[in-house]
Amino acid sequence: MRLFLSVVAALALAASAAQAQTIRILMETVPDTRYIQELLPQFEEETGINVEIEAISYIDMHSKLVPQLIAPQGSYDLIVVDFYWVGEFTKAGWLMPLDDLAERDGVDVDVYVPKLMDLVGRVDGVLYMLPFYNYSMALIYRQDLIDDADEQAAFQEAYGMELRVPQTWDEYWKQVEFFTRDNDGDGNRDFYGTVIQGQRGDCISMQWANYLYSQGGLYHDENWNPLLDSPEAIRAMEYYREAVENYSPAGSEAYCFDEAFNVMAQGRAYSFVTFNILYAGFEDPESSEVAGKVGITPNPGGGLNGGWGWAIPNSSPNKEAAWTFMKWAESAAVAKERAMLGGAPTQAQIFTDPDVMAARPYYPILGEILAGTKDFPVFTYTTEFVEQVGLELNLAATGEKPVAEAMAAAQEKLRALLVKDGKIEE
Amino acid sequence: MTANIRGAMKKRGRWRFLSWLLPHSILVVFSAVVLLPLLWLLRVALTDKATAYKIPPEWGQANFDNFIEIFTGYPFFSYFLNSATVALGATIFALPLAVGLAYAFARYNTGGLSLRLFVLSSQMLPPVILVLPLFTLFLKASLINTLPGLILAHMTLSLPFLAWLLVAFFDGEVATLEQAARTDGATRFQALVRITLPVAAPGILAAGLLAFLLSWNEFLYALILSGPHTNTLPVGLSSFQTHRGVDIALLSAATICAILPAMVLLPFLRRYLIKGLSLGALK
Repeated sequence: MRLFLSVVAALALAASAAQAQTIRILMETVPDTRYIQELLPQFEEETGINVEIEAISYIDMHSKLVPQLIAPQGSYDLIVVDFYWVGEFTKAGWLMPLDDLAERDGVDVDVYVPKLMDLVGRVDGVLYMLPFYNYSMALIYRQDLIDDADEQAAFQEAYGMELRVPQTWDEYWKQVEFFTRDNDGDGNRDFYGTVIQGQRGDCISMQWANYLYSQGGLYHDENWNPLLDSPEAIRAMEYYREAVENYSPAGSEAYCFDEAFNVMAQGRAYSFVTFNILYAGFEDPESSEVAGKVGITPNPGGGLNGGWGWAIPNSSPNKEAAWTFMKWAESAAVAKERAMLGGAPTQAQIFTDPDVMAARPYYPILGEILAGTKDFPVFTYTTEFVEQVGLELNLAATGEKPVAEAMAAAQEKLRALLVKDGKIEE
Repeated sequence: MTANIRGAMKKRGRWRFLSWLLPHSILVVFSAVVLLPLLWLLRVALTDKATAYKIPPEWGQANFDNFIEIFTGYPFFSYFLNSATVALGATIFALPLAVGLAYAFARYNTGGLSLRLFVLSSQMLPPVILVLPLFTLFLKASLINTLPGLILAHMTLSLPFLAWLLVAFFDGEVATLEQAARTDGATRFQALVRITLPVAAPGILAAGLLAFLLSWNEFLYALILSGPHTNTLPVGLSSFQTHRGVDIALLSAATICAILPAMVLLPFLRRYLIKGLSLGALK
């Protein structure tokens, strides 16, 4: 046993000595993480700092991060933070304010899309993060069907309006109804107007937000008074329920984006309200049969904003080196290179950069989508909110609970969490 | 008369066939329930992601691309090595300690029932409660992101369970054998090494295999206490669940590789477990 312990001690010493010139970063397995890894040799050559990136999946990240953040000194120098956790992490005081560093080194934070700066940049006027990645939501649809002359004529005849990229919700919903079909004539629909990702929790919460915004609804007013039982919210839920019943594959109330993606990728659906980052997957013949046939456009009425930000935890052992890395990864040149590789930009100028547009012609649309997004309620209990409201939404989507009743319950749950957080009074 | 007998025999033959058919058809259904997910896993591992999700299922061209990619494009080999090191380490270090503890429980009733329960108590708590204090301790001792740290952590899981399992092997008939050896003049230590351990060997081996698998499959401790160089297989597997969807084909290939050692070990485990449980030396 003594031998064992001394071996343990020796190995531990060796490990800590080797880490002296290294910064460690915990990231999620998003495509931009891979692009950063590809570009790393540049940074290591320029600065002589070794970088160790640990990329893990989203669901495991929170449980891995929190013990690290609570500790006086953790093992990560730099982390990325999902907008869900921004309220929790900043309120707990786990993230280091970056204003002084940004001012000292003249880092211009005005290059970021303001929407993302609000979501994963500043909190109550303090700069805690630099926006790293955006996954705002949009409407992905079949451009080839819209361009088809026969479909155009049939749509014109049925609805008395032109078939085009939908500009309003009403127009979109007519298209959803129009394209839902039973092609083999067996009495069951086999081509769907839209695909629902209705699984409880995160999946439905994210997608339904777009339905809410489409009806002009919001989660809360300026003073954080919840609005989930408003007529707009109830109408949004009725549309969602209608989609589950009539226009989306059977069982899609239990789908998450992965299953829904595959329905669309196999050419079995007209449209899908989802994360803009999935678009690249539809355009890739390796994962999709509809490559070259899909388009992307803002969700009518606005889509949901989403993103990740770089942050230096207060428990970071090497804050200065972490900042050096963050500056490099967010420099104009590296941000552009990431976009060229297929990244999800956060800086406004990237979306319309001529080289980026030449490589990826749809990037200006992504910029438009991002500019028109709306924010999810970010507060200390966002994670709980997603679970609790996601459950009510799912109950309404499956018809287990009447829509109005489910929305009333969602309203009460949001109110209780906001009271608990001190955002509103009892 | 003969016709009668022949008729009866025929009837008996039919009856025998039926009594063979009925249990077998039930068994086939149950086996299918257990095996189909595994076979499906194998199928998905041999296709690409686009084919994997096709409904109705398409078979496509089976290939080993996924298996090649997990070893070339991902640090899968290092996950494998880490898992093997940790699981072997935790088992090898825990087993002698557990044998000692179980022997003390069985022969001396050390600490009485309360100590036995105390040893087991750590297993009654949800692991997430234990992992946070362990994390803080490891952070102080610089054991985070080290293999020895993970081995130590997994020993805290396997030691109590091993000790409890082994007590049963030291109780009962072995005690009588040991008594006999003592009467013949063996010291207690000689009796332990020459008589008890060899007799309990199948049980100890079976328990060791179970401890190995426990560590091999463990996720939460490995997730929180490991780092990029020490990630084990279960942690590596979870990284195939990405922001752009589950890499189902790669994940399936990786899962197949991860369960291979268990599949190889299980036949041994079964043999030793049965042997271990039916010690019949006093016949």
